[in-house]
Amino acid sequence: MEELIEQLKQQIIEALNFEDMTPADIDAQAPLFGEGLGLDSIDALELIMLLDREYGIKLADPKSGKEVFRSVRSMAEYIEKNRTK
Amino acid sequence: MRIAITGIGAVSAIGLNCTQTLDALLKERSGIAPMRYLQSIHCHLPVGEVPCSNEELRAQLQLGTQPLPRTSLLGIAAAKETLTMAHIQASESMAFISGTTVGGMDLTEQHWHDYAQGEALENIHLHQAGESTKAIARQLGTFGYICTPSTACSSALNAIILGANLIRTGQVKQALVGGSESLSRFHLNGFNTLLILDSQPCRPFDADRKGLNLGEGAGYIVLEEESEAIARGAHIIGYIAGYGNACDAYHQTASSENGEGAYLAMTKALEMAHIAPQEIDYINAHGTATPNNDLSESAALKRVFGNKMPYMSSTKAFTGHTTSASGGLETVICLLAMQHHFIPANLNWTRTQDGLAIPTTHTTQHPLHYVLCNAFGFGGNESSLILSDRPVDLSTAPFNHANTVLAIGQTDDSDISSYISPAESRRMTPQTRRLVTTAKRALEEAEISTPDAIICATQYGSMLQSMRFLQDMINSNEQQLKPTPFIQSTHNTLASLIAIITRNHSYNSTYSQEHQSLQCAFNDAETQMSLGLIKNALILEFDEQTEAWDNVLKHINEHTSNIARAYILTANNKQC
Repeated sequence: MEELIEQLKQQIIEALNFEDMTPADIDAQAPLFGEGLGLDSIDALELIMLLDREYGIKLADPKSGKEVFRSVRSMAEYIEKNRTK
Repeated sequence: MRIAITGIGAVSAIGLNCTQTLDALLKERSGIAPMRYLQSIHCHLPVGEVPCSNEELRAQLQLGTQPLPRTSLLGIAAAKETLTMAHIQASESMAFISGTTVGGMDLTEQHWHDYAQGEALENIHLHQAGESTKAIARQLGTFGYICTPSTACSSALNAIILGANLIRTGQVKQALVGGSESLSRFHLNGFNTLLILDSQPCRPFDADRKGLNLGEGAGYIVLEEESEAIARGAHIIGYIAGYGNACDAYHQTASSENGEGAYLAMTKALEMAHIAPQEIDYINAHGTATPNNDLSESAALKRVFGNKMPYMSSTKAFTGHTTSASGGLETVICLLAMQHHFIPANLNWTRTQDGLAIPTTHTTQHPLHYVLCNAFGFGGNESSLILSDRPVDLSTAPFNHANTVLAIGQTDDSDISSYISPAESRRMTPQTRRLVTTAKRALEEAEISTPDAIICATQYGSMLQSMRFLQDMINSNEQQLKPTPFIQSTHNTLASLIAIITRNHSYNSTYSQEHQSLQCAFNDAETQMSLGLIKNALILEFDEQTEAWDNVLKHINEHTSNIARAYILTANNKQC
């Protein structure tokens, strides 16, 4: 799990163009949207694409992403349960 | 002055001319159908295609074999019908203003591999929005002024607004105005990455709506001063009563919860028309059927009309969302409805939800005196137009060049971090960052925080992002594409981004007319200054060096350039 979290942080940094950030700057428990990283709805679309591209997970409804994208840890937990690659 | 409408023309999924369009509207016959002509792996998505191949369109229009994007073919068909109906020909006293965003993207995506081999080079120039407009103009004759507004899905409505302003300032006698847009794999895939395409026929304003269906088409009208129209014995179809353009300044693709931009655009149009909201008989809503648009537009409608909502419908369940053409096509639909006394149906509606306005679900006979047409675009470029069946007096003013450039922003990259936060800049290309910084510096120097207008001139928009999305689309065979490059590929990204960052809700527009783009932007600003509509304007000039496109352009000895300039223009004339 911890390994997946680290990998995921790196992928988020790249997908969302956080050029000056390192995985250590992201708290796996912190909220991704609103506070924390302060992501917005365009980022949500990028994260949906990331799940598809890297883990073969299709989240068709952006609303179902709310729980999944609560934090990096919640994303990792979801990936572990649902990944197809 | 009274501006009369003396010709209309429309091409869309529901008809190749106004007669067919009217028939489909009256019989509630939708044009949404399985994909037939567009070649895409997303063929499960229904679309509103014009029911003709390019070859069939060429044959009907008696065109030779010269390369033409589908946007131009559709535009030629609708523009010819418009001029024929108006019994008028293109001339030096007429402007042709045609909105588009897609331009010749269909040719570029089709010939991408040919270009790499140095083949099919005659198609390259047609990529540009401005050139696809010129290609339409060449089939019609000589015009005194040609211009391409490119504000995404409000482009055609902004073309109509500019045309009316040019006539009010005596710069032209007539204007052929509207827009044209074909389907392309590029924007079908782009909208698909935003997860806003419905795999069923779209359901505007319905509780269960799942998104839009893309459509294509063209719609134009002829504007001219009433006295001139009467003098030449023209039949008058309707009149321009008012219009408004405002920026939501909220988000690059989503509309604000309270529909601020839409509210401002409608309010401006009503003020100009000197009518109360309840005098509007019918609203042709933007109504794309995305969860976000319909809720936001409903909020704006409720703010304007309260609990006295006029008849309202979205005709996008007939035609699909014809994006940049929608404002032109739907203006023609409004005029047909006005001429034939009916409310067009909002198809596929079954139930409402909290916060949604309730549309008219069946074609209903009703006399129409004032009609409001909305068109909203990415970046919050919102425009509203009010049409009337009776003459409406509009103010006029002589065109006045006497304006001053207060500041020209210049920048070097070391400034950027003091003007843009990391959160703001992370999605911007380096050239976009330069433009935002330059614009902010120019505003600072001129001591203006909220200019009355933001107008951008660009040949290609953010070409880096366009090429990024195009290449990913071709290389991945339309799979797993990233939304951000698409969102930023529209020409109006720059002007709307600056409005979002500076929270500016005022007039916002973008012109893409090749090397005349900057001239178009200045002309729009000076025209509005002459009319006393604005006192100052932030004018932007943007293009960016793009290696992928340079690899194409090198075959014709051209290249892209980095341009990021900002000008602050202020009015000298007494009227302001």
